Amino acid sequence: MADRKKTQRQMKYFDYSLLAVIVFLCCFGLIMVYSSSSYAAQLKSGDSLLYLKKQGGALLIGFVVMIVVARIDYHNYAKVAVLGYVLALILMVLVNFTPLGIEYNGKKRWFGFGETSLFQAAEPVKVALILSMASMVNRFSKKIDLWRLQILLLVIQAPLIFLVTDNNLSSGIILLGIVFLMIFVASRKKLRFFLAVALVVGAAAAVTVFSDQIIELKLLKEYQMERILVWKDPTQYALEGGHQVLQGLYAIGSGGLFGKGLGESMQKLGFVPEAQNDMVFSIICEELGLFGAVCVILLFLFMIWRFVVIANNAPDLFGAMLVVGIMAHIALQVILNVAVVTNTIPNTGITLPFISYGGTSVVFLMVEMGAALSVSARIKFER
Amino acid sequence: MVPNYTYHRFKILVVFAVCLAGFGILAARLGYLMLFQSAHYTALAEELHERERSIKAARGRIYDANGVVIADNRTVCTVSVIHSQVKDAGEVAAVLSEKLGLDRETVQKKVEKVSSREIIKSNVDKSVGDDIRACDLAGVKVDEDYKRYYPFGSLASKVLGFTGGDNQGIIGLEVIYEEYLKGQDGMILTQTDARGVEIDAAAEGRVEPVEGNSLYLSLDMNIQKFVEQEAKKVMEQKNAKQVSVIVMNPKNGEILAMVNVPEFDLNDPFTLNTGVDTAGLSEQELQDLRNRMWRNSCINDTYEPGSTFKIITSAAGLEEGVVTLDDTFSCPGYRVVEDRRIHCHKVAGHGAETFLQGVMNSCNPVFIEVGLRLGTANMCRYFRQFGLLDRTGIDLPGEASTIMHKEENMGEVELATVSFGQSFQITPIQLITTASSIINGGVRVTPHFAVEVRSSDGTAIEKLDWGGGKRILSEETSETMRYVLEQVVAEGTGHRAYLEGYRIGGKTATSEKLPRSENRYIASFLGFAPADDPQVIALITIDEPEGIYYGGTIAAPVVAGIFDNILPYLGIEREEAAQEAE
Repeated sequence: MADRKKTQRQMKYFDYSLLAVIVFLCCFGLIMVYSSSSYAAQLKSGDSLLYLKKQGGALLIGFVVMIVVARIDYHNYAKVAVLGYVLALILMVLVNFTPLGIEYNGKKRWFGFGETSLFQAAEPVKVALILSMASMVNRFSKKIDLWRLQILLLVIQAPLIFLVTDNNLSSGIILLGIVFLMIFVASRKKLRFFLAVALVVGAAAAVTVFSDQIIELKLLKEYQMERILVWKDPTQYALEGGHQVLQGLYAIGSGGLFGKGLGESMQKLGFVPEAQNDMVFSIICEELGLFGAVCVILLFLFMIWRFVVIANNAPDLFGAMLVVGIMAHIALQVILNVAVVTNTIPNTGITLPFISYGGTSVVFLMVEMGAALSVSARIKFER
Repeated sequence: MVPNYTYHRFKILVVFAVCLAGFGILAARLGYLMLFQSAHYTALAEELHERERSIKAARGRIYDANGVVIADNRTVCTVSVIHSQVKDAGEVAAVLSEKLGLDRETVQKKVEKVSSREIIKSNVDKSVGDDIRACDLAGVKVDEDYKRYYPFGSLASKVLGFTGGDNQGIIGLEVIYEEYLKGQDGMILTQTDARGVEIDAAAEGRVEPVEGNSLYLSLDMNIQKFVEQEAKKVMEQKNAKQVSVIVMNPKNGEILAMVNVPEFDLNDPFTLNTGVDTAGLSEQELQDLRNRMWRNSCINDTYEPGSTFKIITSAAGLEEGVVTLDDTFSCPGYRVVEDRRIHCHKVAGHGAETFLQGVMNSCNPVFIEVGLRLGTANMCRYFRQFGLLDRTGIDLPGEASTIMHKEENMGEVELATVSFGQSFQITPIQLITTASSIINGGVRVTPHFAVEVRSSDGTAIEKLDWGGGKRILSEETSETMRYVLEQVVAEGTGHRAYLEGYRIGGKTATSEKLPRSENRYIASFLGFAPADDPQVIALITIDEPEGIYYGGTIAAPVVAGIFDNILPYLGIEREEAAQEAE
């Protein structure tokens, strides 16, 4: 410990670039939440600032949490990895099987007591999963290339993933994706991962191409198939499943190159349902145009690049894996969200990190950012 | 502590490369949507956001022969509030209740009601609407609208017709000339949110409405007014069910007046003019009564013309050469045709008489003889030739067709009765039109009201063409008919239509309504002047007069009275000087 303290004093490195992009994205997110929600909030509650205030509050908490997490040496987190994993498992069991899980729109996603919902269960689970994965990869690094170990890692995380997927398919996909990417990075092997990806892509392509036959044979659940059909031709289902996607496309399409200007969106006036949530990117496109949308994507790309830099220079594998998990999380969520909004893939509820409205999401994202900054703070400065 | 190996770094870069590829694909997808598909989605989105609010176009005006407006528009306003835009509900309610003379509380409730648009009052006078608009209250909308207005009230009601809630013609000329009269609605384009509420700041596109075209009629409201007075007078005197008068120019078919008393109030067309208590009536019964009230009997109803039809039998007989004015006949008071004994109106008989005298006496046996001489085939041919079997083509809706025997079913008895105007039915307009064609030199005319269409600013658009006129009778026969009919008025049954200083031709008729046993009559007279060069022709039908019911006695004097006034008005001078010189 003494040795570490000494090195800490020696190193002055801190990833200010990452901090800057976090701050920028958060502030931009606040503006977009206000822009996309104010009209609906005014109508609903008479207070156009309603969502802005809530999101602002969550962000303040998130910043404090981030600073605290960043100041603590990330090696300490390895000690609570198992605890985190167990807590996450308990949380998911409670949410799924007890009245402590609160249902909205038929999905039990919230943890809370009675009327008061506290947070979305999937968000802390993502953090716990990343931490436990990083910890295990670090511990079993010598045997990581073994099939059985990789399967074991997956099996260990499987209960969490299944419990989350039950009510929140998109979060489940992200969890699985994180696990996959973390094992991929940890392992020397390449072919098996490549084959796995090829398998998934092949399956997706098959479902798309043979959708008619699949419906006939009832291989997928009806609502799942419906989403695929909507994805293929949203205008056909404009009144039902395709409404959200179609309205999002109207917003994106009417943005053009430079958009209508901040605050000028028409689609946020009740056309895109809950524009401040999953579909916020479509409002960004409408107001700021292709230019603004690409800028946002570049910001996320820059953020991911910072993770790459931190992970590659991390003092040890645990730090690197922690950051890889975080990077996988952000990358997957951004890609999936933008892909859904642009109707590139079938619709599934997924938020845009830092920008979509949602207190839980932003607080736990800040926990991850704190962890990443904590790793960056311990990079050895070599000159 | 496990170090971070190079292959980890490589794998991380692979992950980054994959992310880069993913982002690249999405950026490309965005570029496709926002550049190439932009126009498509923008159009769809705009269609979704834009709401059209139509601005009603003013309906074209109708002018009479003197250029007087007889169907006009009045601007009325609809005052409404848009709840989401109201800033000071108290003030809005106070101002509106005061200006509109409404109860403060009711207005307050409407203003506070959460709805996208609440109408406070419609049909508000324009001045009040302007007043309210001048107050410039947030959330208060004053929309202008047009309502048809008829300055002459009930005058020519069944001819002009009226319009419904959407300013569409319901009966009369308003229906027939709908295409000319109706304007082109304009519209205001606004943007709305998902609930359809207009957005304040959104720029409004505006397409101005185009006012309908003006219609210029041959109808002369001065003549119409006078004729209506005369018709009303005789209706009241004889306690008749109704009295119809048509005044027309026999040369071109232009109608100067068409009266059907009782008329109804065009500005309140749904209230019955009979003063009957409507409380106990079903909606269907009420509507039937309204339809009856709106009926224009000159064109919608047929009747047995009776003796006025002898004009046509005469013309046919003279044209065909089966009779001349000097042919002699004998009337014993009846005539036996096959097994029927058909009476003359003069039971004692007219004795020996020439054809001319027969017409002057309106002697049935004479016309039976002429009819029989013509024969069924010729009679039917003249019906066709004179246009009696077709509709006249008048520019009013619902013209009734002639009800006539089929040629193959016509025996001698039918032929005999047709000859003096019984056993078939025609409309008054058909009778006067055919009579016009017989006396005007023999050319069929199309009766009509509309002469010209102009745009709202008065520039001419179209002179309506009413056909060149087909020859149906020779000039000579026409001239003879004018002479014969002048004699009817000068010395025959029509003598009560005689006017000092004017040469008037005409024919009386007293038709028995069916069933004959009920002794209900239609007294009528058809007259024209001047007899040598007819400028005006008039037909009056008095439906079910009480007391004396002879057309010659009660109908002819009305036409005389009408001619006495309208001939000088039309600039047809009396021939006093000439007569004195003789």
